[in-house]
Amino acid sequence: MRYYARKLAFYLVAFWAALTLNFFIPRLMPGNPVDILMAKLAQRGGTVDPAARRAYELLLGSGTDESLLSQYFSYLGNMFRGDLGVSVSSFPTPVSDIIAEALPWTLVLVGIATFLSFALGVVLGTLVGWRRGTWLDSLVPATTVLAAVPYFWLALILVALLASGLGWFPLLGGYDVVLSPGWDLEFIGSAVYHGTLPALTIVLSSVGGWLLGMRNMMVSTTSEDYVLTAQAKGLRDSRIMIRYAARNAVLPSVAGFAISLGFVVAGSIITEQVFSYPGIGSKLLQAVQNNDYALMQGIFLVITVAVLGANLVVDLLYALIDPRTRVSG
Amino acid sequence: MTNPSAVPAAAPRGWRAMLPRRSPKLLVGVGLIAVIALFGVVGPLFVGDPATIRDVGLTPPGGDFPLGTTLTGQDILAQLAHATRGSLYIGLLVGVMATFLSALFGIVGSYAGGYVDEAFSLFSNVMLVIPGLPLVIVISAFVPADQRGSWTIAVVLAITGWAASARVLRAQTLSLRNRDYVAAARVSGEPAWRVIGVEILPNLLPLLASQFVFSVVYAILSEAGLSFLGLGASNSSTLGTMLYYAQNGFALQRDAWWWFVPPGLIIALFGCGLALVNFSIDEIINPKLRDVPKRGKQQNRAPQPAERPDDDVVLTVDGLSVVYQVGTPVHAVKDVSITLRRGEILGLAGESGCGKTTLAYAVNRLHRPPAEVTTGKVTFHDRDGTDTDILALKPAELREFRWSKLSMVFQGAMNALNPVITVQAQLEDVLTTHRPEMTKAQRRVRCEEVLRLVGVDVRRLTSFPHELSGGMRQRVMIAMALLLDPQVMIMDEPTTALDVVVQRGILREILRLRDEIGFAVLFITHDLPLLLELADRIAVMKDGEVVEYATAEQVYAAPAHPYTRKLLDSFPSLTGERGAFVRETSGSPL
Repeated sequence: MRYYARKLAFYLVAFWAALTLNFFIPRLMPGNPVDILMAKLAQRGGTVDPAARRAYELLLGSGTDESLLSQYFSYLGNMFRGDLGVSVSSFPTPVSDIIAEALPWTLVLVGIATFLSFALGVVLGTLVGWRRGTWLDSLVPATTVLAAVPYFWLALILVALLASGLGWFPLLGGYDVVLSPGWDLEFIGSAVYHGTLPALTIVLSSVGGWLLGMRNMMVSTTSEDYVLTAQAKGLRDSRIMIRYAARNAVLPSVAGFAISLGFVVAGSIITEQVFSYPGIGSKLLQAVQNNDYALMQGIFLVITVAVLGANLVVDLLYALIDPRTRVSG
Repeated sequence: MTNPSAVPAAAPRGWRAMLPRRSPKLLVGVGLIAVIALFGVVGPLFVGDPATIRDVGLTPPGGDFPLGTTLTGQDILAQLAHATRGSLYIGLLVGVMATFLSALFGIVGSYAGGYVDEAFSLFSNVMLVIPGLPLVIVISAFVPADQRGSWTIAVVLAITGWAASARVLRAQTLSLRNRDYVAAARVSGEPAWRVIGVEILPNLLPLLASQFVFSVVYAILSEAGLSFLGLGASNSSTLGTMLYYAQNGFALQRDAWWWFVPPGLIIALFGCGLALVNFSIDEIINPKLRDVPKRGKQQNRAPQPAERPDDDVVLTVDGLSVVYQVGTPVHAVKDVSITLRRGEILGLAGESGCGKTTLAYAVNRLHRPPAEVTTGKVTFHDRDGTDTDILALKPAELREFRWSKLSMVFQGAMNALNPVITVQAQLEDVLTTHRPEMTKAQRRVRCEEVLRLVGVDVRRLTSFPHELSGGMRQRVMIAMALLLDPQVMIMDEPTTALDVVVQRGILREILRLRDEIGFAVLFITHDLPLLLELADRIAVMKDGEVVEYATAEQVYAAPAHPYTRKLLDSFPSLTGERGAFVRETSGSPL
């Protein structure tokens, strides 16, 4: 129980830290974001009433006589009510609506691709570590090369070869634009077709890390005494590999999976830019290009919450697969 | 349990151990890094102005422009040299800053301990779960483009990239902190900075180096990613900004691969070189990761079981030699011949490294490369009259033989039980493998039966190993060895690391079970007085050879080899009064 309490406390602190970062970053930066924002808004023909200005000042700071502390608390209040402000680039849509529309695309594409990459890396790493001294050893340097290549560079070259060159995949987008989004077979098929190449590039560039980590752990665990016991017991090789060596070797990878979720959501920003994919990453970029600070902060917050949530789930899962954590905390 | 694969290789000592071994990987890695670094440092001096615009846009490589030109006719080779310098600069800056931050939070925190450690560790973990790149993007967005230089980008990347390293360093420092020599330095009142600087840092160097290399790769890749998004170091030239211009000039769509491919390739090759160097550093941190020689084909020889001298013998080891095939081959076991009789306890004694464990493992073919049986024979004489040449068994036959004819008891108090599955699962998988015809209920009954035999509560079946005491784990190990009713049991230091009272209980248990069930035991220990009490016959090993081989009484009363006498003398009080008791019964006051 202490284990869970500690974990929960940690996530509350992390969440609070993210909220606070979000509050202070614009206030620490030079210039007055609210003025830039108001100018943009006026350009687009938006109505700059005092209430809107006040809302943005609360979000981004500057220009008010209010103390920083009371601004901070009003800001926290707004966040808890789910009020992330109004987007400037697509005025007057609330930020939360834009995020709700974009989030599922990213979650499905990046979620599936990350999981596939993790699973593939762990399985390959298990085999490479178990069968040391065979041709499988050469998989390690090969995938390391892929991990050292800048992701977008690899993705763009694959697009040039597979999509423009051979025409196997669509160039960009999340679905065929002639279709209207919905839960029908045709639309889902089109979404899967459009998502394959982006997912492939994510898997290609990230599988090496999992493979290497798992392989190194396998090498360590195969020299553990319990693996020797299992061999003395006359168990089948496959059983020893899975239930004794891999079962123990995978623990750090699972912990690493939680940490990597942060980098994964981050990576999706570039993926979505390369493929003009309609996810949260391209929205963040769009917000950056349009100085849409409210959208930027909202998206950063949502990404953080998603990462924290995913970490929490993995942490709870970890207690299930490693019985020792439940006692030692 | 002494690990038979831990070979006493000719390891370099002192600071030399910190240097990576010269391997093809390291040479290629260092070569790549050196060439690219040289290109970045010296290259810009020899090429022309990278910004000069000419009217020869998109010229393919060749002639005046070895790597072609951009859309606006700029020399790509010149751009590449300057951009490489810019990227290396950022990589170096981030590497230094991130390593410093992670050392500060990882090492200092865990060394100080208490609240400082808690606070530093919490801070690192929070930084770790807050997603980096989105944060970088948000921060970059608030910094006007004309103020975004190499330094700004480097600072932001360092701030978002140090946390993972800090965690690794913290774990390592925590383990170093408890080592004896560090504790000694602390107790003797040395100031904290000195203990960290002199005792801890040198041991962390390989890890710090690996984290530094990792930070540099991270920085160069992240900078490239940021530049691609248009958020890079906009007032300086890096490989990332070069790719950004290539992408915006539709280099790939215009088939101008010479514009787009080289910058990425340089990043990839540089990253590759650093990764290869990191492999070598990893091998210093964890020597197990070193390359193993390619596996040879297992040669199968025709079975030639030794003749059965009489029905009383269950195991014959005949002229067995085991060699560790390393640089200079180590003969761990030299021409050993012993026999094990039914129901007998044969003690195998000797100091650590004498080859006793290697011998015991070779009997069951559990030795791992580079250990190799060079000559000799191991024959199992089954109760049912067949003789088995163990060294000639095919893999499937060997699996079947193991545990059902010959089981082993390892030092269960240590790590011989799988920590993540229950006792029941570890007992049952023996039965599911060797007795597939048994039902779940039958398996359960058998597991409970053997646990009762060794005096462990059957409710312990659902426990995990860490929930049992050392003595209880050892009993579970013995119960496991009993599952298939084997004729031989090899026990490798089964009572070492247990306290004297528990040790006594376990030994009594072994003797009782041997009397009830009648298996033969090969009992390995460094504790000769213990064997005098327990064993029927004793073999003493020294440097891989059996120097003494006689009944326990003979070994005690009239040791033939001077080494045995030395061993006997060296244990006068270790087993206390019980040891003295044995001596008295043998009638010679010592």
